Amino acid sequence: MNDTEIMERVKKVISEVLGIDKDKIEVTDRFVEDLGAESVQSLELVAAFEEEFGIEMDEEKALEVKTVKDAVEFIKKYL
Amino acid sequence: MDKIQEFIEKVKGLNKKVVFPEGEDQRILLSASELLKEKIVFPVLIGKKEKIYEIGKNLGISNLQQIEIIEPENSELFNTLVEKYCENRKNINKNIAEKIVKRPLIFGGLLVNTGICDSMVAGAANTTANVIQAAALTVGYFEGIKTISSFFIMVLSDGKIYFFADCAVNILPDENQLAEIGITTGINYKKLIGTNPKIAFLSFSTKGSASHPSVEKVQKAVKIAKEKNKEFDIDGEFQVDSAINEDVAKRKIKEFSPVAGKANVLIFPDLNSGNIAYKITQYLANAQAYGPILQGFAKPVSDLSRGAKVKDIIITTVITCLMN
Repeated sequence: MNDTEIMERVKKVISEVLGIDKDKIEVTDRFVEDLGAESVQSLELVAAFEEEFGIEMDEEKALEVKTVKDAVEFIKKYL
Repeated sequence: MDKIQEFIEKVKGLNKKVVFPEGEDQRILLSASELLKEKIVFPVLIGKKEKIYEIGKNLGISNLQQIEIIEPENSELFNTLVEKYCENRKNINKNIAEKIVKRPLIFGGLLVNTGICDSMVAGAANTTANVIQAAALTVGYFEGIKTISSFFIMVLSDGKIYFFADCAVNILPDENQLAEIGITTGINYKKLIGTNPKIAFLSFSTKGSASHPSVEKVQKAVKIAKEKNKEFDIDGEFQVDSAINEDVAKRKIKEFSPVAGKANVLIFPDLNSGNIAYKITQYLANAQAYGPILQGFAKPVSDLSRGAKVKDIIITTVITCLMN
């Protein structure tokens, strides 16, 4: 899977979980400040990424990820 | 009878069912055993049965077989709770919900949400942030409340009781959050103590004696709280002596105030002052401090300190049950 595909799937998950338009998500966006995620939704995002990519992530470290770009980089480690 | 013993007697007979998501923690096991033995509440433990029985055996707990233990994934309630989660969280599909509901804190929160249990006590092995997150996702917020906060019950050596808030959660609340903290703490004072609270919003200024943006924040919070709640006596801004000492209040405050000098709920302007105040009262005045007790959720959920001892867990459980 190349970076573009991963990015597209990450954006799809974010769009579904946060209920926002996929096309409005930028690579540099921060989950809370730019995409309006409530801090309580971080757990749901982690579970949704795991489901989408069929992976199990280190939850503590996954919850530290703050931007879309960093989420892609973090997920790549498990693929 | 001291206040805590009074609380314990009050809870007995209410038949409260309390879920402990950290069922594999030794202190939780010992507390659950004691709570059941003394007929205070019915504890429900979440965790691996085999592991809990092994720990219980090593601790010499004799009544473990009488305690309900739930393994989320193997529970007959699992599918119902997954459905409940999806119902509450519209953007989450079933597969994702299944991953989330397996987590003990989430499963425990859903047991409370559905009324299967009356309240949840956690935090012995999880951070406050994790407990708050799980409760927000499952139990939700109390009507009209957006700010989760906490309070301490301070029992002085002469038996006098004060509620202090927020001493553990909100670092720098704005005026709206501060107003909510005041009202929510007042509601819990009434539930636990049985009389109407007298809520004082504290500052380094008394009724405009000083001028500063941080004083203005407290003044605004008083105005908002008074507008939102007409039932309780609410006033400020007060220096702490004007709030709790009638002689000082008479000297410093010329206008009528139903709270000045008589306050029993003290609302601190930020976490620095709140945290310092409860510890200084505890150590210098030899007061008993019970808490932090979380507040603002639709149903009671409590956070334990990770250093909590069995006695602390039992007291927190009792207080949580009385917040129902």
